[in-house]
Amino acid sequence: MRKNFLNFIFFGITITILITTLKVLNWLPTVFHEGAMRKYDNIEEVRVKLRIKEVYIPSYFPQSIKWPPSDIFAQAKPFTAIVMEFKNAAKGDTTLIISQVTAGSNFIYDRKIKMLQTRERINYPLKGRNASLEVGVCVNDEPCSRISWDEGEYRINAVMKSTPIDLLKIAESMLH
Amino acid sequence: MGMFIAQSVLHSLIAAIIVDRAIQIWGIGDPLVKQRFCLIVILFPIFSFHGYQMINPERGAISFRLNAIFDINRWLKLEFWNIPLGLLFILILSGTTLIFFFQEMIPILRHTFESKEHAFHEKKADDYPPISDALRGLSVEKPETFIIEDRDRILFSIMGERPAIFLSTGLVEILNSEEIVTAIAHEIAHIRRNKRPILVIVFILRVLMFFNPVVLLEFRRAVQEEEKICDDMAVSLTQKPHVLAETLRKLYYEVKDFNPLKNGNLSNLKDSLEEYSHNIHIMNRIIRLEQGSVSGNGGEWMKFILTLAVIVVINYFVV
Repeated sequence: MRKNFLNFIFFGITITILITTLKVLNWLPTVFHEGAMRKYDNIEEVRVKLRIKEVYIPSYFPQSIKWPPSDIFAQAKPFTAIVMEFKNAAKGDTTLIISQVTAGSNFIYDRKIKMLQTRERINYPLKGRNASLEVGVCVNDEPCSRISWDEGEYRINAVMKSTPIDLLKIAESMLH
Repeated sequence: MGMFIAQSVLHSLIAAIIVDRAIQIWGIGDPLVKQRFCLIVILFPIFSFHGYQMINPERGAISFRLNAIFDINRWLKLEFWNIPLGLLFILILSGTTLIFFFQEMIPILRHTFESKEHAFHEKKADDYPPISDALRGLSVEKPETFIIEDRDRILFSIMGERPAIFLSTGLVEILNSEEIVTAIAHEIAHIRRNKRPILVIVFILRVLMFFNPVVLLEFRRAVQEEEKICDDMAVSLTQKPHVLAETLRKLYYEVKDFNPLKNGNLSNLKDSLEEYSHNIHIMNRIIRLEQGSVSGNGGEWMKFILTLAVIVVINYFVV
């Protein structure tokens, strides 16, 4: 009985060692691969650590969206990518995602707000930029909209669980 | 598809480590239980990726990956001397695919077709007194047994609707009647085991993991356990473990020195390694039978479920 119990303890220790080893192995590539995608606490940290001069942040937010971003992910290599996730103040789910990615890179961040059906796609003049605006439906038949445009060396993409009215105001507030 | 392949290899590797440790820590010796543990490693990675995606579609999102225990993408994207590690990974998978194709698929297909054609000059064992006399002592339903005129030591069985056992005259010459009975009892065990569709299903599913080196090794381990299970069944039929051990020694075990430095080229080295590992496996079976550690009761379900649960939970956070 005692031996049996000890064996369960040994098994637990083995699993702990395995998890620790996996975590170390997961950390190791970041030593060789500086600038790889990781989580940041705030936008300033992204600017300083990755030496990215221009990070496009909206100055307008509807009341339903909680500021600051709930999650910020960024990388400098192999191309620049910054992703900001914003939560709904009432529901607590991710309601707005803004990504800023080196133009031409094949980076799509649509796991959390995935447009399942596009109902309308138009070219929208956004403060002199030629933006693409899509209106459609996301999971649970929720209306969602997406706008994307080229801004200098970057491609900006904003997707939101709402009608396009709020999204357009947010997008316009990102441009000076 | 790439994510499925990469994660299935990783999931099977982690499952193999956990299974190996579980078997060792709990001192599991019953081949039936060991094989059941092996099946986790073979079958789990087929379903893990899609299963996890169904539970949480956001599992592939960056936010999840960054909080994961291990993210294989970090390694695959690394480059050393301008060579991406991902390329090395693809090479390993390609090598495994070739080994699977030439060492498993082609021999099985060949065996299937040869079995159907029955291209042997065989005669029924009933007409061969040493066999018919020996089999009289085996009180189970016996499949048809045939004798092949061949000086080599040959023993095999064919499955299907009309299963049959084949022995060569060369084999009958070196075995006494008790040994012939145990050899046939072992083949009867194979035929009985193959009647269970679960084994066929496992093999078909295993084919889906043709690229996975961990599954390749684990499947071979499961096959070795299958031999031990059939040994146990043969012993339960004959009650003579020492006779089966002696039969194995006569049939398959060859004492040879293994020295990799003496092998001139890679092909010879490969043959020597295969022979060496085959001998070790046979020796394990012989020792097991001689020590009387034959069991075959199954059980150990709690340990099995605990091990499976740990594998499922850890691999959820391995992307």
